[in-house]
Amino acid sequence: MDAKKVNTQENTLEIKNLEIEYFSDDGIVKAVNGIDIFIKTGKTIGLVGETGAGKTTTALSILNLVPEPQGKIVSGEILLEGKNVLTMNEDELEDIRGDKVAMIFQDPMTSLNPVLTIGDQIAEGLEIHRKISKKESIKQAKEMLELVGIPGDRAGEYPYQFSGGMKQRVVIAIALACSPDLLIADEPTTALDVTIQAQVLMLINELKDKYRMSMLMITHDLGIVAEVCDEVSVIYAGNILEHGNLKDIFDNMLHPYTKGLFDALPDIETRRSELKPIKGLTPDPTNLPSGCPFHPRCDYAMEVCFSVMPGNKWISSTHCVQCHLYKDTDKNML
Amino acid sequence: MNDILLDVKCLKKYYKVPKGILHAVDGVSFSIEKGKTLGIVGESGCGKTTVGRAILRLVEPTDGSVIFDGIDILKLNKKEMRNMRKEMQLIFQDPFSSLNPRKTIAQTIEEPIILANMIPDKDKRFMRVIELMEIVGLAERLINTYPHELDGGRRQRIGIARALAVNPRFIICDEPVSALDVSIQAQILNLMKKIQRENDLTYIFITHDLSVVNHFSDDIAVMYLGRLVEKAPSEELFLNPVHPYTQALLSAIPVPRIHNRPKRILLRGEIKSPINPGSGCRFANRCNYAEPVCSQEEPVLGEIEPNHFVSCHFCHNFNKGRQNVPLPKVCAEG
Repeated sequence: MDAKKVNTQENTLEIKNLEIEYFSDDGIVKAVNGIDIFIKTGKTIGLVGETGAGKTTTALSILNLVPEPQGKIVSGEILLEGKNVLTMNEDELEDIRGDKVAMIFQDPMTSLNPVLTIGDQIAEGLEIHRKISKKESIKQAKEMLELVGIPGDRAGEYPYQFSGGMKQRVVIAIALACSPDLLIADEPTTALDVTIQAQVLMLINELKDKYRMSMLMITHDLGIVAEVCDEVSVIYAGNILEHGNLKDIFDNMLHPYTKGLFDALPDIETRRSELKPIKGLTPDPTNLPSGCPFHPRCDYAMEVCFSVMPGNKWISSTHCVQCHLYKDTDKNML
Repeated sequence: MNDILLDVKCLKKYYKVPKGILHAVDGVSFSIEKGKTLGIVGESGCGKTTVGRAILRLVEPTDGSVIFDGIDILKLNKKEMRNMRKEMQLIFQDPFSSLNPRKTIAQTIEEPIILANMIPDKDKRFMRVIELMEIVGLAERLINTYPHELDGGRRQRIGIARALAVNPRFIICDEPVSALDVSIQAQILNLMKKIQRENDLTYIFITHDLSVVNHFSDDIAVMYLGRLVEKAPSEELFLNPVHPYTQALLSAIPVPRIHNRPKRILLRGEIKSPINPGSGCRFANRCNYAEPVCSQEEPVLGEIEPNHFVSCHFCHNFNKGRQNVPLPKVCAEG
């Protein structure tokens, strides 16, 4: 995505040409390889991909939380409301973490502290960022609990006294306590049952509108994307292969990988006897294929795909794809 | 309904816990024809895994009968049961923890053959292992690798090969693809279907993923808190769900499309405790249609149409899209 194509004023978050590597015994793991993500104020972007695609690493980098020393942000910039997160010092980072930017992690069973009451855990961020008294912060924590549908008088209870769905609500209450401008949700409902997932997604949607929050939704589930996102980036082996709004991606998907993801899903209404898996396996991140990282699994691979990484091709003002099958403003070749 | 391989009658599994009796499985009955697949769906804690284990006597059922090919296996002694296990195998959910990390692929697949004393000759046994690896699509060169060297999809193939090793007629698949990415999930589901066709296998397919179960099963049984609430042929269940819980469950699936999105039925509250659940319908506290009778009397599983069983006091009112008709007070039939 070209920076000039987007108006910088209206973006809460701009990630430009981000590259992240991990050093391991097996060699350098190229986790994120030059991705761009722009989130407009009040909008939600879905980052979709499979295990090891670099989704969580990208999320961690936004708060400069990529584990060091094994992980390293090699290049790129992350602008949060115009300020580069990667050049901030530890104090500045502490100021934005949990205040301007909040994060919901995948597993509510492990992301809460088992020896602190949930009230204390919600109040902690408020006390630090809002510089208010303990008493006042607990009062606000109770209001947050009510907001996510848990009676405020349960603030004195410990995480083990809550079910999985309620724990995730507590995590959401912690994340939203300081009304962040940007919410990063890393597979927030993966550990939950479908009926509870439906409740939590509806809650996230309501609160997002209420506070006009921007959101980065990380998920592997295209159904969740259809439900909460405005735009989608499809990530594979640390590259964003396709980006567009919901209509672009769901009705007009262009990249063979995006198409493969949809085809591999069992359709709930028509019961086909055979599913169409994507052939092969996700590539070894220490030894990524040359050229386009998807070419070994792609049915449409051409000679050029083996050696040349395709650049961003803009199909329309909203829809962008990295694939040699397309030229700028080219359509419907699949 | 003549060729029934497995007939489960009023299966119960209770656990004694400090607070009382935990009703994990509470009077579940169903039967499966030869060569068919029964999907069991439900949310965490509904007892679906316990049903699977109780059928194999991996947990000893509290009451009921499990008739496999005319033999009540709950009456078998230890030695007879061991013989019976050759006919009935299990594929586990998590290919990361269900394989012994200190055994090679060959040793893992060979183990059930040795335990069942099926092929005493070492060379012949080795040939059988190679054959099994070929069936599940594992390259022969992997024969001496250890589980940690393999990805989730390959590990699950080992789990399948191990289950097939003793030529079973019946396999319980407990969430076999939940831990896998969609592109790999489709590969494994196709493989399991192919093996079923070629070996005339009968499956119980336990899962929380409704789109997968619809794709895979001939019949689907929906469980809620230890009880069967509805059972019907897959197509019938998806087209015409009758129990209010089934309706809510199906509507909660996030569908990967942006047009014609289904209307969601949101459930209130959370699943109640399976410890001393008391009388009445267990879903009553979350049901949008509950009447006083629901919390007093236990509904019975009744056949509302051929092969379509529902356990609800008002099932006849919910039928055929008449959900909005005011509910007269009727009692359970059948």
